[in-house]
Amino acid sequence: MSNGGERREKVGAALVVGGGIGGMQAALDLADAGIKVYLVESKPAIGGVMSQLDKTFPTNDCAMCTMAPRLVAIGRHKDIEVLTLTEVERIEGEPGNFTVTLRRRARFVDENVCTGCGSCVANCPVRFIPQPLDSIPPVKLAPEVQARVDQIIAEHRNRPGPLMPILQSINAVYNYFPEDVLRYVSQQLGIPLTHILRVATFYNAFSIVPRGKYIINVCMGTTCYVRGSERLMERFSDTLKIKPEETTPDMLFTLKAVRCIGCCGLAPAVMIGDTVYGKLTVKEIPGIIKKFQGANGHGQAHTG
Amino acid sequence: MAARRIELMLCTGTGCVAGGAFRIKKVLEEEIARHGLQSEISIVPTGCNGFCGQGPLLVVMPEKIFYGWLKTEDIPFLVQEHFLKGRPVKKLMFTPPERKEPIPLLSDIPFFKKQMLIVLRNKGIIDPEKIDDYIARDGYAALEKVLTSMTPEEVIEEIIKSGLRGRGGAGFPTGIKWKVCRNEPKTPKYVICNCDEGDPGAYMDRSVLESDPHSVIEGQTIAAYAIGASHGYIYVRTEYPLAIKRMQKAIEQAREYGLLGENILGTGFSFDLEIREGSGAFVCGEETSLIHSIEGKSPEPRQRPPFPAQVGIWGCPTVINNVETLATVPVIINRGAEWFSKIGTETSKGTKIFSLVGKINNTGLIEVPMGITLREIIYEIGGGIPGNRKFKAVQTGGPSGGCIPASLIDLPIDYESLTQAGSMMGSGGMIVMDEDTCMVDVAKFFIQFTNDESCGKCTTCRDGSAALLEVLTRITDGEGQEGDIEFLEELAWAIKDASMCGLGTTLPNPVLTTIRYFREEYEAHIREKRCPAKVCKNLIAYWIDPQLCQACLICKRECPAEAIYGEKHIVHVIDQSKCTKCGTCLEVCPPRFGAVKKLSGEPVPPVERGMKVERKKKTATPLQEQSSA
Repeated sequence: MSNGGERREKVGAALVVGGGIGGMQAALDLADAGIKVYLVESKPAIGGVMSQLDKTFPTNDCAMCTMAPRLVAIGRHKDIEVLTLTEVERIEGEPGNFTVTLRRRARFVDENVCTGCGSCVANCPVRFIPQPLDSIPPVKLAPEVQARVDQIIAEHRNRPGPLMPILQSINAVYNYFPEDVLRYVSQQLGIPLTHILRVATFYNAFSIVPRGKYIINVCMGTTCYVRGSERLMERFSDTLKIKPEETTPDMLFTLKAVRCIGCCGLAPAVMIGDTVYGKLTVKEIPGIIKKFQGANGHGQAHTG
Repeated sequence: MAARRIELMLCTGTGCVAGGAFRIKKVLEEEIARHGLQSEISIVPTGCNGFCGQGPLLVVMPEKIFYGWLKTEDIPFLVQEHFLKGRPVKKLMFTPPERKEPIPLLSDIPFFKKQMLIVLRNKGIIDPEKIDDYIARDGYAALEKVLTSMTPEEVIEEIIKSGLRGRGGAGFPTGIKWKVCRNEPKTPKYVICNCDEGDPGAYMDRSVLESDPHSVIEGQTIAAYAIGASHGYIYVRTEYPLAIKRMQKAIEQAREYGLLGENILGTGFSFDLEIREGSGAFVCGEETSLIHSIEGKSPEPRQRPPFPAQVGIWGCPTVINNVETLATVPVIINRGAEWFSKIGTETSKGTKIFSLVGKINNTGLIEVPMGITLREIIYEIGGGIPGNRKFKAVQTGGPSGGCIPASLIDLPIDYESLTQAGSMMGSGGMIVMDEDTCMVDVAKFFIQFTNDESCGKCTTCRDGSAALLEVLTRITDGEGQEGDIEFLEELAWAIKDASMCGLGTTLPNPVLTTIRYFREEYEAHIREKRCPAKVCKNLIAYWIDPQLCQACLICKRECPAEAIYGEKHIVHVIDQSKCTKCGTCLEVCPPRFGAVKKLSGEPVPPVERGMKVERKKKTATPLQEQSSA
């Protein structure tokens, strides 16, 4: 933990942030090692998600049976101080010697007297407190980008379910989704950005990071696979010095594994742009890459 | 259209286009013009012919002479010899590997002989971009019959009577689905054509859209009439640009002819269609997921019931049918349910398209009656396994299906018998595997696929596939342990039981069937650290047989890892510590030397560096060898 140089003497206390099953175990291990532990949890009680589960996958162990002994041990341990309804505000100092500022929210319940009967929950008349939305400033795009995006939105916005066609059109223009364009679309359509991102990151054809001019789609369908497309992928990867799903630094190529392009008669096949290369062998790969580099005025290819 | 002396049916499906069909078309046009034959010969760019392994290909009408593997440089000779002088060119005809004499006529080629064309009735005969071609082949006659002389109930009855079942894979009776939807009181209703053909190794839906888009439009319009829908969607994968283009064109033409839109054929019935593109998510083939995708929601499946036929897109009753199902409908209406129900088996009626691919001589799309045996498909239509290798298994149904071993080769193909064998019909991919395919590796491949494509909603599917993959990877890496097979089985059943949609409930099938039929391969990996098919990288080694090596330097030059030591007249040796096992040396070693060997489960025999080559008599010099290779 110390960042080189001299070792400072450590203060004998640790702070564990988050009281889920992982945090609980960490707190117990530290405390058993003789260190004073502060266990911080933002919820009113420790336990986290595991307390909501019946069994855990894939071993099918009973969740409560795993958790209950730890809950009890933490409650009893003289070296663990549980701080619920508490959040970390600030950390100062350096690894091994630091000060943490916590903010503890009021519980309005005397923990020493409460029996946990739950009647206050059942009888409280307030059920839902709406939070005021922060007013979000409108996104500004470069004029030519905005004109283009506006045109795409105008084309599709009156159809039912306009989001997919709009995303597809934007993807066709940029090869990926620039963040401010997505924010702009979100505001224009009144669809939350989180929703758009959920859709945008679901599909293989979309990307939220910039991609190269040419996307090399190596077919990994079953037929191509049994006919050796994995070796094609390796050779592309070696030659371009990038891994699948990565882009070359000159933004020319993105290497991608694609699910069956339906050219099983030509297996193994690779699709670059609209061109399909069928019955491809590893030997031909450097030549193909050179051809595309040549079309862009690049110099010699890095052949492996 | 004036009758021509010769019509050239040039296949312009995706496969042949990739092989250069359009370049061939250009040269053909030039050559025909050069001989002044424009008025006698016409070129018809057709959809997929089906015999994709022979592409680019051409069928000369009216004789139906079949030419395959065409190259642009063959064309001038072909035009001169055949079209001008009337002498068909033998060297461009199809010759089966075991025979010397070529087969001139399409109808005599075994690949086509055993087929029965219902869905693909127009493949390779019409220009898919011309509605008149389709109409000339009885196109839209069924629609007219339905709209003018049948009630929606009669249409549904007819489809139920025909016994047509969904061709997307699950095999739900189409007529029943329509009936449920028709009986829903809520309106409007929708018809969706599912062309999100995600199964790797299957491409018949794409082929139907590319070769005969109007048959799908007609079928979908009939479905719309039967259930009372006025709007429909065709959901096509974005990976199929040509299919999307042809479908768009077909819809525009149908609108122009009054076969789509308001008041179709003056009968007062209105229906219109719209194409929606997918964006590369396998799970979108699941119907509820597909609906969410069109709606612009995150395409995760939802619990059924309610079924889409009750609550579908925009909350309205929706029928979702596969491309092939819809393309079958017009034929049933035209020729009657009775005729259709005579084809096939007791429970599976009609024909099914399969894509016969992988380690097989005749690669392509085939349409065969249900109940045909695997043996007929693989040996008669498919022409057997290339290179006299041994047939090992056939994988059907994509990632949801399973591997059927060679011992079940007489299995009749229908929905029930495939399910019994642990596989499923699926969309109809048939991937043939020979003895060089490792079954554990295949199982790993599919689990990798489904793990990647799982939407993540159900824990068992999301984490279960990851756990399966971890164990399978361990086995193929040579680190398998006793008990792994049993663990895989137990986990597979848990995933099957606890997942919600079709993806999760079927994803363990490849693992379960490979364990069921090829348990000894798993055991060889785990106990002997040996890959019987010599595929799994960690368990194999490449080795150059010093008795056979002729020191031609080719492998040394091609090796990307520079792991081969050797010079002229000196036997080449692979440095095992540098070798990345890419297999290039095996690929480039001239077949008549065959010096590079794959080893598995045995130590690599040491070879001394600097050994002199034992020359065989009359071997070619390295230079000649290279030019002939």
